[in-house]
Amino acid sequence: MSKNRELLSKIGLRQDGRRADELRRIRCKLGVFTEPDGSAYLEQGLTKVLAAVYGPHQVRGSRSKAQHDSAVVNCQFSMAVFSTGERKKRPRGDRKSTEISIHLRQALTAAIKVELYPWTQIDVYVEVLHADGGIYPACVNAATLALIDAGIPLKEYVCACTASLANNDVPLLDVSHQEEIIGGPTLTVAALPMSGKIVLMEMSQRFHVDHLQKVLDKALQGCKDIKSILDEAVKSHIQDVGSSTGWASTT
Amino acid sequence: MFTTKAFIKKNKVGNYLKHVREHYIRDDISCGLQECETCLPVESFLSPDHENKCSLFTSNHYLILDTNVVLDQMDILEESVIGNVIILHTVLNEVKHRSLPIYKRLCAVIENPSRHFYVFINDHHQGTYLQQNEGELINDYNDRCIRAACSWYINHAPKQKFVFLTDDSANRIKAQKEDIPSYTVSEYVQNLNTSGLTDKLSRKDFHGNDFTKDVFPNHLSNVELLTGIREGKLLQGTFRASRDNFLEGFVNVDSYEEPVIVQGRAGLNRSVDGDTVAVELLKEEEWVCPSEIILEDEGVGDESVDDVVTKENELQKATKKKSGAKPTGRVVGIIRRKWRQYCGILQGGIDGVYQMFVPADKSIPKIKIETRQAEFLRTQKLIVTIDSWPKHSRYPHGHFVRALGNIGDQTTENEVILLEHDVPHSQFSEEVLNCLPKMPWIITDDDVKKRVDLRHLDICSVDPPGCTDIDDALHCRPLADGKLEVGVHIADVSHFIRPGTPLDREAASRATTVYLVNNRIDMVPALLSSNLCSLRGGEERFAFSCIWEMDQNANILSTRFHKSIIKSRKAMTYEEAQLIIDDKTKQDALAEALRSLNKLAKIMKQRRLVNGALVLASPEVKIQMDSETMEPLDVEVKKLFETNSMIEEFMLQANISVAEKILEEFPDCAMLRRHPVPPATNFDPLVKAGRHLGFEIRVDSGKNLAKSLDEAVNTKNPYLNTMFRILATRCMLQAVYFVSGTYQKEEYFHYGLAVPLYTHFTSPIRRYADIIVHRLLAVICGADSTYPDLLDKNKTTELCQNLNYRNRMAQYAGRASIAFNTHGNYKMRKVTCCMSVKTPCKFLYHDMAWNVPYLWPKKAKRPIFLNTMKRTRHKKPEVWLFTLLTPL
Amino acid sequence: MALCEAEKTFVLHGVEENFRVDGREREDYRPIELETNIVSHAFGSARLRLANTDVLVAVKIEVDVPYPERPKEGKLEFFVDCSANATPDFEGRGGEDLAIEISNSLSAAYKSPEVFDLTKLCILKGHKCWKIFVDILLLECGGNLYDAVSIAVKAALWDTRIPLVKSVTVDGNNVDMEVSDELHDCQKLDVTAAPIMVTVCKIGEQCIVDPNVAEELCSVGAVVIAVSKDKFSTVLQIGSGSLHPQTLLECLQMGEKVAQRLSEALTETLSEINPNKNQDVGFLK
Repeated sequence: MSKNRELLSKIGLRQDGRRADELRRIRCKLGVFTEPDGSAYLEQGLTKVLAAVYGPHQVRGSRSKAQHDSAVVNCQFSMAVFSTGERKKRPRGDRKSTEISIHLRQALTAAIKVELYPWTQIDVYVEVLHADGGIYPACVNAATLALIDAGIPLKEYVCACTASLANNDVPLLDVSHQEEIIGGPTLTVAALPMSGKIVLMEMSQRFHVDHLQKVLDKALQGCKDIKSILDEAVKSHIQDVGSSTGWASTT
Repeated sequence: MFTTKAFIKKNKVGNYLKHVREHYIRDDISCGLQECETCLPVESFLSPDHENKCSLFTSNHYLILDTNVVLDQMDILEESVIGNVIILHTVLNEVKHRSLPIYKRLCAVIENPSRHFYVFINDHHQGTYLQQNEGELINDYNDRCIRAACSWYINHAPKQKFVFLTDDSANRIKAQKEDIPSYTVSEYVQNLNTSGLTDKLSRKDFHGNDFTKDVFPNHLSNVELLTGIREGKLLQGTFRASRDNFLEGFVNVDSYEEPVIVQGRAGLNRSVDGDTVAVELLKEEEWVCPSEIILEDEGVGDESVDDVVTKENELQKATKKKSGAKPTGRVVGIIRRKWRQYCGILQGGIDGVYQMFVPADKSIPKIKIETRQAEFLRTQKLIVTIDSWPKHSRYPHGHFVRALGNIGDQTTENEVILLEHDVPHSQFSEEVLNCLPKMPWIITDDDVKKRVDLRHLDICSVDPPGCTDIDDALHCRPLADGKLEVGVHIADVSHFIRPGTPLDREAASRATTVYLVNNRIDMVPALLSSNLCSLRGGEERFAFSCIWEMDQNANILSTRFHKSIIKSRKAMTYEEAQLIIDDKTKQDALAEALRSLNKLAKIMKQRRLVNGALVLASPEVKIQMDSETMEPLDVEVKKLFETNSMIEEFMLQANISVAEKILEEFPDCAMLRRHPVPPATNFDPLVKAGRHLGFEIRVDSGKNLAKSLDEAVNTKNPYLNTMFRILATRCMLQAVYFVSGTYQKEEYFHYGLAVPLYTHFTSPIRRYADIIVHRLLAVICGADSTYPDLLDKNKTTELCQNLNYRNRMAQYAGRASIAFNTHGNYKMRKVTCCMSVKTPCKFLYHDMAWNVPYLWPKKAKRPIFLNTMKRTRHKKPEVWLFTLLTPL
Repeated sequence: MALCEAEKTFVLHGVEENFRVDGREREDYRPIELETNIVSHAFGSARLRLANTDVLVAVKIEVDVPYPERPKEGKLEFFVDCSANATPDFEGRGGEDLAIEISNSLSAAYKSPEVFDLTKLCILKGHKCWKIFVDILLLECGGNLYDAVSIAVKAALWDTRIPLVKSVTVDGNNVDMEVSDELHDCQKLDVTAAPIMVTVCKIGEQCIVDPNVAEELCSVGAVVIAVSKDKFSTVLQIGSGSLHPQTLLECLQMGEKVAQRLSEALTETLSEINPNKNQDVGFLK
């Protein structure tokens, strides 16, 4: 099936009609649940993710995990069994989920001001409802929003994005599942877009170092674009919450 | 804007998944019209300067096509009178989905700026995107999208005129209701002020009136076929027509060891060679044996089938035997047509607009075409394509595509050979030529820094006379303590052909240089093949060197690879090199080097033969051409010198060394060459022939085969041994390129050379596989970078398939060219003779790959080819009468 | 959540007075929001929000071989996943016990052929059938899980469109089938008899429905009653307390009454859903 398909047509459009440097549509909402301290829902194209944050709270389970100088960030990544095309047997616990959980913790720990909350734990749970490529970035972005919703101090937004390479030449931003199947290497980057620092980089398949720079640049640009979208959402959320509590009328 | 598309698709394990895909609708897609001021400017070949001169309209206009027009009338679209055509994305996708070859042709037209085509992405445009209605069939939906795009154009640019062409009457009527000017292609083309174009119209609309009798039985419907096959009532297979008997063919069915015979009009039922068909087996008592009679279609274009009936009866008599009957069936439907374009000529002596086309390929039936220029076409070799084969017509209907040139002209015949073997031979496009280095080309200091400078070495090349694409050169110099340093230097083509460039894609598609008797179709443009990459004498060139340290017994002590700069001292022919070696008075460095090389090569060859390598001769025929008329003058068997095998040995060794290296570094994606061990049954003809002539040929291992071939010598007939070797070659399987990760280690074996690992490294100018190997090796040396496709097992496998296909076709084309010229040589000296050939002999000399039977009587010096002559059956069954074109 | 004695008494008194902490009467439900066709790549789906209990149900189908003892029937399987989003207690395998309890109760409730006709899912007797996976994802637990899950499951099954089988051919042991690739060519499931579960909770001397978390903590025992049309399909006692037979009977009566009311409301709601209206809201609302 993928044989006759090209990532980028000669006219410069991708399978779904995007241009090479365009993100998928991102829609998000903060505070979707009441129970957790912070929660968020994020759609990136068809990839749909829910994130919930509990904490900072006392360390659960063994106290030895607690750290005297910083909070422990605990992440769990889980995919609904119906989230993929073919039904999954288990929602979590497989290698891939565990790996994403670890990567998630890595990226979030880098963004949270963990030193403010010694001896505590912050739980971040993400649930993928529909997996259509770029799961990890969507999880990072949703988790960022949930952390903001929970009011946990961050150094800055942490955003993630994927990029690939079409026709050995053109970097593609934010690859969809279909594009992942067609092939080409995928570079996943999680970054602190304002300072431009990279907190996590992962690459599938081999591709030559010569191309890395332009693909990386594209992915970082994607992170920056996502940051401004998230920022917009946060602002409008605060506006909503604020106006319902009455501060909007005071200004 | 954003929407989704959902569909259900079966996955590999048989489950049904619901897929959802994103579909973005944009506001930045341009109409492509140069005059338009509202759309964003975009690169578009549409031009107000081009005029479509159609008398149906008073003004210039743009054309919008329906999918069926592209699919059926591609030959018309390839004509340059038609321009300013808007291809909708919906149409493009549908074409791609339905026929990949047509899609490729369409893309070629679209990319040509002088044709003024433009692709409008209607399905992502906010003004023309439509949602599929519930219950709407995909075809209706596409038609609706196409019409919507037409209407959009009409409203978008009211000053311009747009014409919609479709052969689908329902769609045309709907379009007319929506005020879209719509016409059929034939209406449009007939009113174009260009003559001859109507000949190229595809004719699908042949409706026989009810009075005409059906010549063929009905085909079953697709559903019936699929059910029949699934239930095992019908068999699916590839139809192969007999070359000698137009009323006979075979269907190769996967599950059957022997092909199923189909005979007669009803049995063949309109299948054309290559089609995938469904056959129904007859009852066992109705089975027949393969006919051995020759029947030619002598029809003259009318629909009467009386002569066919006579021949059918004749055939029936000839094949109805009690013993030896083989599975027999009849074709009940066509699953997939493999129709292509055919070369051939018009049959003489027919008047009127309906003419009979006789394809060069004997296995293709005559084709009925409509033309108004028959007189002229009769002098030409033509290309014709089949459009349809209705059941009431004795012949398939087709249309004239183009004329290749006068019959008998060397250029025309070459063209025929190239077309028939699917050899890409068009001029290199502008895009490709732009990838070439700018002349004058100089070696910069930067280049020198990156390479090992070997300009001081005494390097020389040895090639056949007249060779302009020299891709290998050698050197040899003594080292201390009696060791020798031997270097093989291969033109560094990968330096000039960078991955992913149009030049690279073109070379990959061509795969190999094709050699015809008087023409060479280069894989890369001449600037590279005959100049920059050719290691000419006295010129500084880039090379990829493989350098061994050897002892006097030709044992390799160490190997190294690097890119280098060389300056060949001399480009010699085999003969020149041989003379230098033999001339004891010459004592210069070059002569000494050649002698050492020759000595080493002999040891290496001996060692190889001991290991079981086969020496298989094939008649290397050299045809001398008259330089002015390009007519062949004489045929001679190529002379072989010691130096031939000297070069061969070192090239083999270089290939082996490189193969080991790249496999070591890239165990998963190295491009190698394997030669599978042929199954024992393949050798049956050889063993039989040997026994017939009193020799025992052992085929259980390569070593034994080589040994018994060596022993099969008859002093009275020195050609006999060569003949056995030729025959042995024909028993072999083809050597093929493959990717290391896709086979087991044991299967890497190269049977013919008896080496466990082999690849192609030494001829990058004329073989694409070598370029890939160069790139791999360059990565290992750190001289170059990789790119994803190079390491992608699947992509490389795909590439290998193309290389293997092109190589095979190039080989056939080369042989066909030799065969043609050999006959051509003797066309004036027609000799008639009668000769008896017993069945085993006939088989013995029947060369499948050359497509020609040939005889090699004891008296003759060389084989006699028989393909264009008439064969008739003598009264005695085992005697054939031949009209020979070759003198004994 | 933990309640102190005083709080518990407050809840108890409220129930006694028929004026519960959130102002409801004993037989009142909290507001329910239902949305179907929310998971686009599933064959059917529904999301139900009962106050702050949040359940997402998706239906996936596969082709399977019928059980040899019931060759004419398809298969129906329930899978519940308690997302850690709901509470950190569900992290890892923490929610598994609850998940199994709920999925077992659903299997029991749907077991009877009068409740759900599995023969409709048979494609070729003894060879091929559809297997329906009803996957339930608990996103937030605000009490009364069983009721919420059962309604959401019923709605998701109602929403399910099974592709139409165009042809089935048998060739020896090989069964081949062809399915219409047009999405609207489909078969809908008959869910009129699909059960609705009502949890009746005994607090003090009184029974209530739709307990919130606080009320669940005060309850001495509860009965989950699955009602299909006018029959009980399953009755299940949950919680650690014990119930008097008389109380149990009262619970059943109350449950049945409430279930009828719920069922009617659901049917009405579902009939108002317009399949052609592309809502596309989901969690963004």
